[in-house]
Amino acid sequence: MIRAAGLTKRYGDQLAVDHADFTVEPGTVTGFLGPNGAGKSTTMRMILGLDYPTSGGVTVDGKPYRALPAPLREVGSLLDAKAVHGGRSAYNHLAYLAKSNRIPLKRVDDVIGLVGLEQVAKKRSKNFSLGMGQRLGIAAALLGDPGTLLFDEPVNGLDPEGIVWVRNLMKSLAAQGRTVFVSSHLMSEMALTADRVIVIGRGQIKADTTMRDFIGQNATTHVRVRSPHAGKLHELMTRSGWRVEALPDDDGALQVFGVTSDAVGDLAGQNGLWVHELAVVQPSLEEAFMSMTADSVEYHAGMPAAGPAGVEAR
Amino acid sequence: MSATTTAANPTAGYRTGFGDVVAGEWLKLRTVRSTFWTLVTLFVGSSAISLLICLAAADEFAKDKAAGKPDSGDIVLVGLLFVGQIAAYVLGVMTISAEYSTGGIRTSLTAVPRRVEILVAKAILLAVIVFVVGLATAFACFSLGDIPLRAKNVGVSMSDPGATRAIFGSALYLSGLSIFGLALGFLLRHTAGAITIGLSLIFIIGGLTQLIPGSFGKWLYKVMPGNAGGGITQFGETAKNAEKVFAPWTGFTVFVLEVLMLLIVGAILFEKRDA
Repeated sequence: MIRAAGLTKRYGDQLAVDHADFTVEPGTVTGFLGPNGAGKSTTMRMILGLDYPTSGGVTVDGKPYRALPAPLREVGSLLDAKAVHGGRSAYNHLAYLAKSNRIPLKRVDDVIGLVGLEQVAKKRSKNFSLGMGQRLGIAAALLGDPGTLLFDEPVNGLDPEGIVWVRNLMKSLAAQGRTVFVSSHLMSEMALTADRVIVIGRGQIKADTTMRDFIGQNATTHVRVRSPHAGKLHELMTRSGWRVEALPDDDGALQVFGVTSDAVGDLAGQNGLWVHELAVVQPSLEEAFMSMTADSVEYHAGMPAAGPAGVEAR
Repeated sequence: MSATTTAANPTAGYRTGFGDVVAGEWLKLRTVRSTFWTLVTLFVGSSAISLLICLAAADEFAKDKAAGKPDSGDIVLVGLLFVGQIAAYVLGVMTISAEYSTGGIRTSLTAVPRRVEILVAKAILLAVIVFVVGLATAFACFSLGDIPLRAKNVGVSMSDPGATRAIFGSALYLSGLSIFGLALGFLLRHTAGAITIGLSLIFIIGGLTQLIPGSFGKWLYKVMPGNAGGGITQFGETAKNAEKVFAPWTGFTVFVLEVLMLLIVGAILFEKRDA
């Protein structure tokens, strides 16, 4: 279990993390979401004792990281897959970590097999692809068979098969009762992997809840309807007091908010309008995330005025 | 690929100790090629230069001795003062700066969050390794440099006054230099910066201080690390006009204190700074 209380990090006059309070529980995969520069990596580095909080603190299983008697046996982490000395072989990199925490060397072979790096274990890691580096980082995290795991962007550079593997790995680690804390900017991936979500924006914790609740509270279900009589239907629905938005790049498709698909279908039928498509669209994590962090993105990209519809700042 | 690991950790509850840190650092040190090649350079480069310079100087030595103005026998160790000093210093810097340039330091610190233990382990290992290789190199330089000198009847001997002390002293000095490099590496966290500053301090600034007039200039020259520590590597005629430098062991003690001071500052910053 990871617990942060009033965790604050200030760089000069910039607050990177601002009085963050959160708990990462064992037995579930907890996603850590936030725009670039929101404070995700700083928070992870403070959990691992690499950066010092300006005030407040964070503990793993009740202890600050530096007080853990054998840290790698309790916390496994993948922060930056490139943070290894490229001149050393993958095997030796892991062997160092094993020695430093007196983990049996047999475990090194085990985790190399687990992540599928047997073929290149004796090769110098500087020639590794991003995906291989990521696997080495995951192997290092699993080395001490720890009860708590931190992964920063674990699927970066992995091929589709690797992504599915990491997803299943996270879930099975959580199912074994471990605490799994994962940051990612890939929303769809997070939606598939994480049960809980902690959202950070401008250094502040914006949400700490279950994935289902987060999406439910921050994005609305809508009905998508496509009709050859879109104009007429649009008018009728607006007159009924419904919020309707046309999707200009998709001929004749409308999205309707706050009503059921039954109501939309009935309205079209009563007026003799044909409907080619009628569907309830579940909100995505991405929508929920965008709606929540719209005001806390550090660097806004300029959006052309006639930008793609559907990407609306709501 | 299986996605599961064993949940039961057979050795959970173990508390890591300083011995584990040393074992880990030793593995790290010997599993990068730069360590091996720097030490090979130290040994081969120093020995070769000692031999070549003695070959070139042998005639001059014979003439000077005939003229009653004998030259200093410690020329046999001269290779150590070129290649040896540089290699020992660079090895010390690289031992930590490479971790910063690769980012590996963050991995090391998650494994060993009690940071000072990493610094102390690195210092102990470096000091021992460089002393052993330095001692072998000093003997090699002494024997190889002696060959051309002996051929002209101006050879050196282990029984020459101060010769044995200079051989062991050279190994100690190189060992101290590697720690000096390690300390600056911890302070600056940057390979090129630490190498430039350290080497210019020893090779350039150390010599330039004798241009500063007055007793302050004399004092400053004496305490510059290369001058203070290097005295222990001298014997023969150079050691006789010791006006300008400390006596060998006094100078070496000053040098060791300087290195320790830098190392302590390095340790404090290492402990305090974000990684």
